[in-house]
Amino acid sequence: MSETPASVLVVDDEIQIRRFLRTGFELDGFTVHEAETGAEALRAATLQPSDLVILDLGLPDMDGADVLERLRSWSSVPLIVLSVRGSENEKVRLLELGADDYVVKPFGMAELLARAHSAMRRQLRASRGEPVMKFGPLSIDLAARAVFINDGRVTLTPKEYRLLQILAQHSGNVVTHQFLLREVWGNEHIDDTHYLRIFVRKLRRKIEADPTQPRILLTELGVGYRLVSADASPATQPAPAGVA
Amino acid sequence: MRREMRGIAIALMFVAVTTAVALLLRHYVGILRGAVLYLVPVMLAGYQFGVIPALVAAIAGVVLSGYLYFAQFYSFKVASPQEALNLLLFMVVAVVVSHLSSQAKQHILIARKRERQMSDLYAFSRRLAMAPSAAEIFVAIQEHLADLVQRKVVLLGTADVGHGDDVPESVRAAVARVEHDEGLERTVDDGNGNIWLIRRVSPKTPDFGLVAVDLGNVSGQPLADMRQRIDDALADAAATLERLDVARALNEAKMRSETELLREALIGSVSHELRTPLASILGAATILHNAPALAKDPRLQALTSVVRDEAERLNIDIQNLLDATTISRQQVRPKLQWVEPVDIVNAAFEHRRRRLSGYPVTFDLDSNLPIVHVDPAQVEQALVQIIDNAAKYSPVGTPIRVAAHPNGQTVMLSVHDSGSGLTAEEKRQVGGRFFRGPRHKVTTSGSGLGLWIANAFVTANGGKVEVESAGADRGTTVTIHLPLSPEAEQLETTVDE
Repeated sequence: MSETPASVLVVDDEIQIRRFLRTGFELDGFTVHEAETGAEALRAATLQPSDLVILDLGLPDMDGADVLERLRSWSSVPLIVLSVRGSENEKVRLLELGADDYVVKPFGMAELLARAHSAMRRQLRASRGEPVMKFGPLSIDLAARAVFINDGRVTLTPKEYRLLQILAQHSGNVVTHQFLLREVWGNEHIDDTHYLRIFVRKLRRKIEADPTQPRILLTELGVGYRLVSADASPATQPAPAGVA
Repeated sequence: MRREMRGIAIALMFVAVTTAVALLLRHYVGILRGAVLYLVPVMLAGYQFGVIPALVAAIAGVVLSGYLYFAQFYSFKVASPQEALNLLLFMVVAVVVSHLSSQAKQHILIARKRERQMSDLYAFSRRLAMAPSAAEIFVAIQEHLADLVQRKVVLLGTADVGHGDDVPESVRAAVARVEHDEGLERTVDDGNGNIWLIRRVSPKTPDFGLVAVDLGNVSGQPLADMRQRIDDALADAAATLERLDVARALNEAKMRSETELLREALIGSVSHELRTPLASILGAATILHNAPALAKDPRLQALTSVVRDEAERLNIDIQNLLDATTISRQQVRPKLQWVEPVDIVNAAFEHRRRRLSGYPVTFDLDSNLPIVHVDPAQVEQALVQIIDNAAKYSPVGTPIRVAAHPNGQTVMLSVHDSGSGLTAEEKRQVGGRFFRGPRHKVTTSGSGLGLWIANAFVTANGGKVEVESAGADRGTTVTIHLPLSPEAEQLETTVDE
């Protein structure tokens, strides 16, 4: 999948988890480094910077948030958090601290790889400055600030466009409510989640074939929104409902 | 003393009435020997007022009967020695009668008092015998003793009763001594002239605590009597407590609640511990499933999907147990936020996409539902349970319909299946913890927790779950009703564009 051999640092105190992650990433073409503790992870990240970090939150020596915060003080490496169910607040906190995405244990390898590639592509895109992004039938021309569905121009209000733009920049990864509210409406509206609900509904009516069955602008309940991964060709679409 | 004077006065009145009667009898009937009539006032006075008024009545009777009946009529002179003897005899009889009648009265009074005490004690015993718990017994003891002494009674020293905040400071030291096993009982003056009795409920064991009884300002015989009665009552109470094995019951109750806690903790921690190996199993299975080496052999690949699907099922079971633990610990605390109802439906479906793969699922979702103020994760989990049930109790290939509609002051999220439905009896019981329809016990695995969890989560969010079915094998519709917040509409119009 990835053109250049990339490296991943897997941070988890459970050996069996590290083992299957190692195999999964190696089969996907990654070089894998492992760390058992937070301290070890920070040391490894300093000595041998990797292209991706997978960070488990239940480390024996340090709070996952601490590891993330320290790492982010010098590194913008794409980072996916391994979380447990029912900790929406913690997920939000870690995303706010700079994690690119999360997966909930237990998870399938494909899901983790998809999140990881999205996070890595974002960095790549940021460095390349791609002007046009495609999400199935939706394309966004970031330079012209224009949005098209199947080549037909869609008219968005400035705030709708701003919302879509932020989601597109993080496409494939979740963006928290707070981040979106702060970026679009400003700090004073950070708790006005209903703004988002109403704007997302409007946006979905304009870009989704069926706004009640969104395929592009997805909801992460209790956390935020996720625009599907940008793809190289419009032919690649998410699997339709009902297919295993 | 005043009572005595009153008794004497009334006794004299009795004598006067007797005299009037004697005079009337003498004048109109001609009875000349009526001295015996004077025994009546003596008897009455003795019975009603005791010995002294009776004696006064006797003396008055002797004098008047001497005047009326003996020797010269209407004179105080006694004619013959025989009449003097008669008078003396009368005197003796009067004294004996007065004594006897006053004694009889005393005995009746004592007997009545005994009877009342016995019936009190008996009622107390019965109440003890029927007391369902130790706490009840202690209340009975306290009330009975308070009734007995008509003063303050404090029970203390067991978990079920207070710790003696009502006991005066000056009495505390004595309480502490008895509590620390320095003797069975002691009395102490509280400094205001009131005597307090502190006594262990049972002489055999300190388990039943102790009583502090304010006996008031008493001494001598009344004090001894009161202590005797308290002793009797406590002996009875202690015997009952022992017979009922209250000590063991108390300990068992404590153990039961500890066992319950332990069980909950165990479920919680075991479930938590199971999740880690399960994450490895499931992760590894997904890798194997897509591994090129196995893709060549469909039999092996089928096995990897067995591992994956069963691990997923186990994961669902563990999550249900964790949810059930949270619910039974009453730790369901919704984190409310504004949510698009359709998002909840889609998330729940997404979580069970694979589970539903064999069923044609249709959606009927209103695109313009008002937003709701709920905990999205909890409502989603409730809907997931309902979707699980729909798949579990309807044959593969039959349609499942998921709908979201406004309905008055609620938003309805409903799941309709064409499966085994519910009989009237099943419908009545469904939703109880661990309830499973007897028709499915053999054929379908499950814990019977699903609808119970759904109901707990939805209720915590101010909604309700409704189950409908036209009958056995006629499908089921389960609906979550979410409350509409009155602010919702207003919020929609105040968005900063």
